[in-house]
Parts: sequence; structure tokens; C-alpha cells
Amino acid sequence: MVLVLALGDLHVPHRAADLPPKFKSMLVPGKIQHIICTGNLCIKEIHDYLKTICPDLHIVRGEFDEDARYPETKTLTIGQFKLGLCHGHQVIPWGDLDSLAMLQRQLDVDILVTGHTHQFTAYKHEGGVVINPGSATGAYSSINQDVNPSFVLMDIDGLRVVVYVYELIDGEVKVDKIDFKKTSTSNSAP
Amino acid sequence: MVRKKVPEWLNSTMWSTPPPPSPSLNDDGLLRNSPSTKMSSMKKEEDTISVTPPPSTTASSVQSPSAKPRNNGSSSISGEYGNSSVPPPSSAEDFSRQAHLSAELSKKVINMKELRSLASQSLPDSPGIRSTVWKLLLGYLPPERSLWSSELKQKRSQYKHYKDELLTSPSEITWRLVRSKGFDNYELKSGSRCMLSRSRITDEDHPLSQGKASVWNTYFQDIETIEQIDKDVKRTHPDIPFFSAESSFARSNQESMKNILLVFAKLNQGIRYVQGMNEILAPIFYVFRNDPDEDSSSHAEADAFFCFVELLSGFRDFYCQQLDNSVVGIRSAITRLSQLVRKHDEELWRHLEITTKVNPQFYAFRWITLLLTQEFSFFDCLHIWDALLSDPEGPLESLLGICCAMLVLVRRRLIAGDFTSNMKLLQHYPTTNISHLLYVANKLRSKMLI
Repeated sequence: MVLVLALGDLHVPHRAADLPPKFKSMLVPGKIQHIICTGNLCIKEIHDYLKTICPDLHIVRGEFDEDARYPETKTLTIGQFKLGLCHGHQVIPWGDLDSLAMLQRQLDVDILVTGHTHQFTAYKHEGGVVINPGSATGAYSSINQDVNPSFVLMDIDGLRVVVYVYELIDGEVKVDKIDFKKTSTSNSAP
Repeated sequence: MVRKKVPEWLNSTMWSTPPPPSPSLNDDGLLRNSPSTKMSSMKKEEDTISVTPPPSTTASSVQSPSAKPRNNGSSSISGEYGNSSVPPPSSAEDFSRQAHLSAELSKKVINMKELRSLASQSLPDSPGIRSTVWKLLLGYLPPERSLWSSELKQKRSQYKHYKDELLTSPSEITWRLVRSKGFDNYELKSGSRCMLSRSRITDEDHPLSQGKASVWNTYFQDIETIEQIDKDVKRTHPDIPFFSAESSFARSNQESMKNILLVFAKLNQGIRYVQGMNEILAPIFYVFRNDPDEDSSSHAEADAFFCFVELLSGFRDFYCQQLDNSVVGIRSAITRLSQLVRKHDEELWRHLEITTKVNPQFYAFRWITLLLTQEFSFFDCLHIWDALLSDPEGPLESLLGICCAMLVLVRRRLIAGDFTSNMKLLQHYPTTNISHLLYVANKLRSKMLI
């Protein structure tokens, strides 16, 4: 039973001051085992804050990140699932499912987590699942001014994943749930 | 002020344990358990006390044929015997006791009084007997044999129910809910492209919920307890392979013990888990798990849980900090022990508490709360526990009696020692002949009734 927090596109301090207080009150240390961040934090303070929630932090580079050392993409294995991480500004058209599916096949992962559009989406295609946790601070994006803060918490338990989506809509935290599973660990043939 | 004279019988050399550096004849005639004798041969000190058979040997009218009189000064007590340095695995006396016990156990309705008196002199170590007797003494099994199977079934299913209810992870609970509602889980990598549909669950449970009724919230709150239990179980008896070997058997034993302690902690929010409970569980679980009867051994976890609860129920108040100073708390038990020592041996009491200022709390706390599991070797403890559990008035009375006997047995050294040496002695109690210890404790107790 592994809890993985996926969030990104915070754009602190340029476009937002901080995470919404209601989100911060929920994100207490000790509950979450991994954090995967799609990028655009942008500053070190946010990096440190995320580290206090969970020491196992994975970040990829967004175009506004001040730390240039983050990688462009990252893959990690949690339980039976392979996760891929990429900010998404590299994938054109932005947010397009076909292009993201291509990236997913390239990285060879079951779950691809990307951001950049500041809009929560969860798609399924032949190669796996693509999740976009949106913007955790509700920062505006190049295509959208009106953004609801959102992030995603995945509960990976064996071959099953439950995705909890936390959105701040009209000042209230709304929680959604998505379940999916894998049939078996398929060892990919070389 | 007139000093109370030390009673005559106390002054006999029978009671004292001179510390001989050289190993003397292996004295534990009644400790015929081979692991115990192997351990005792490794011990540095050996007792030279002659073994006197316990007073009420109704079962053994036959003296051991291999008995030889001991070359000891104080050998005027009739009926004494000793064994040669390599004791036979079981003497005639053991056989008869075992036969008597087995006879008692195979009756349709077991006479609990008889069983208790048999058990108070230590049970034989042959497989299976101790497990059944402990279950009877702790009230887990009723005296009527015919009711056993139904009782066991009911209790074991109850434990399973507890486990399902309390030990399931929140993830598992969520999935059961989903399945019960008949939702179709999405399959990864199958079929068409689509947006994954979401269901709104703001008012239901989710991992970051901080609501009191939230399964996740209670799970995170229990994590600290779980970690503590985990640490303690891993440290239990590192010298005994049953608990701490690298094998999967030992690991499963540790898992079972963790489950038992966690279920107990969750069911008893008042005392939760306190360090030391693992030591009390260890002998119980060990005995049940090593039962040669397949059925008992496989259900050892459930049986041990109920017996553990039963045993602890007499001592619950010792684990609650608020009750420390109350009439039922640990302090009062320690005071009682102190009074008991004073009653039997004023000189020793005076020397300990007043002259050398050895506060009984320093040593008796561990003796009492852990039921002497830390003072003797594991297998010796099993024998002591036989006596403790067989007490019809509850284990506490016997426990205090045995603690008093422990003090009396080393009185020579205590009286000769100062604070430091007494503390050292009492906190690392020297290895003793357990049957002798129990005999002394019994004798003290019977003296009290005079």
C-alpha cells in the first residue's frame, strides 16, 4: 500500500504565492511514501517544502524551473507499476493524447504523469494511463486563466491503483476517485 | 528495640547459595529438559543445594532408582536425592508424574483443583502437555472435554473476525467497497482510448482525510504503535531460533506475534501497547506453536491471543500509568512484596531497605511486570510459569511469593553486600534451581497461613 503524491506547475513565486491553505493542511508528513513532481516549482523553497512532506522526491524540469539540474524525463518503479514523469512542454501539441502516448511508449511505462496544461486529466489508451495532476496552486497557464488548484494522490496496492483527485473548487476541497488495475506483471520482451 | 530473630529454619544451609566458582555436580534433577541441561552446563555458577522433592508428592511414591545421596553437609532431610552429573532424560518420578497428568487430562471432565496442584510443581516438558494444561489453567478450554471443539471453533473464528476488522489495510477496504458496489475496474492496456471516469467521493474516505471516522486516519495514527510493536518483537529472545532465526518459520512467528499485539492494542485503547507485552506473549506463543498436535499448532496465534488477554487481565493495571500509585497499581504490588519480605525475614528486609537503601522498585519492577521472564532462562521461565498459572488465586500471589523466595535464597550475599553489589546481584539474578525456588516459595506461602 504505497501512497504517491503527484503534483506540479506551482509557479511560486511568479504566478502564485503558495499552495492553498486547505491543501497544505492536508499534506502532513508521514503519510506519503513518494512525491513525483511534474516541474515548474519554481524555486528552491518549494523543493524544500516538498522534501518535508516526504523525503523521496522526484522532479523533472519545467521550462520555468530555476534549478537547471532536474532531468527532462524520469522513470521509476513503484510496486508493480512503472511510472514515467515529464513536464510536458516538450510534447507538442501540448496535452495531446497521441503525442503523450508516443512519449509513454518511448519511456515504456504503465502510468505517465505530465503537466504543463494546468488542467487535470486522466486518459487511458492502449499503452497505459496518462495523468495530469494540474496545477497545485491554481497558477494561470499560457492557455488558461481560470485554473482550479488540483493535485493527485495515487494508492498503489499490488496490481491495483486508486487515484484520488483533490481539487479546490469555489474554496472547497473536492475529492474524486478513479480505480484501475493491471492484469499481471508482463515482462516486456526485448 | 528487640531485633526479630531470624527463624531457625531459615538459617539452615539449605537456603543459602554460596557462590562456588567451580562447576559442581549438575543439580537440576527435576530439570530433565535437555535444552535446559545444555544451558545449565554452560552456566558459570552451579548450585550445590541438595534437591528436596516437593512436599506434596502424591504422585511419586517411587524414588528414582538412579538416585545417589549427595555429598553435602546439610543432607539430613529425608527423601532427598540427587542425580549424577548427566541426568537421565527422564527418571521414574517423571514418568509417574507424566502418567498422572496424562490420566488427568484424558478424563471427560477434568478436575481443575487436581490439575492445579499437579501443575504447581512444574509440568513435564514432554510435548503437548504444557500447551493443553496452560489452556485449561487460563480458562481458555473448559474442564469438560466434550465442549472443547466447539469452544475452540468459536474462539478461533472470533479472532479471525478481529483480524479482518482491525488489521486490514485501508487500501484493501477501499477495494472491497468498490467490488461490492459492482464497479467495473478499468483494465490497464486493454481496449480503447477514453477519458477515465471519476466518481466524486468528497464525503467518503480518502487517504488525506482527517476525520475521526476515517479508516485512513486511524491507520496513520496506529503507525506509531505498529512501529513500536515491530521493534520489540524483533528484539524478543534473540538467542532462541524460534523467534529470531533467519528462517521463514521465525519470520512467520514474528508476524503472528505482531498481529496478536496489534489486535490487542486496538481492542484496548486504554492501555494500547506497552513495551514488555511482547515478553509476556513470547512464552505463551512458543508453547502453543510447538504443540505436536497439528490443529493446535496451526491455530496457535488465535489461542495465544486469548490466553495472552486472560493472563494480562490480572496485570492490566500495572501497565496503566495513572494507576501507578493507586491500590491496584504497580507501586502497591512492590510494597506488598516488601512487606512480605519483612514478614518472613526482618533482618534481610532491614538490611536491604534501610541499611543499603536498595529501593525494591529498582529490581522488583521488572520482576513483577514481566512475570520473571527476564530473570531466568527461557525454559526455566516456562517452569516458573507453570507454578504461576496454577495458582487458584491468580498469578500475582504466586509471583510475589516467588520474588520473596528469590530474595531469601540469596540472603547471605545480600546481607554481606552493599548497595552496589546488592543491586548488581538483584538485577542479574544468579541462575538457580527452579524446582528448589518453587519449593521455597511454597514453603514461605504455607508459613504465612500459620
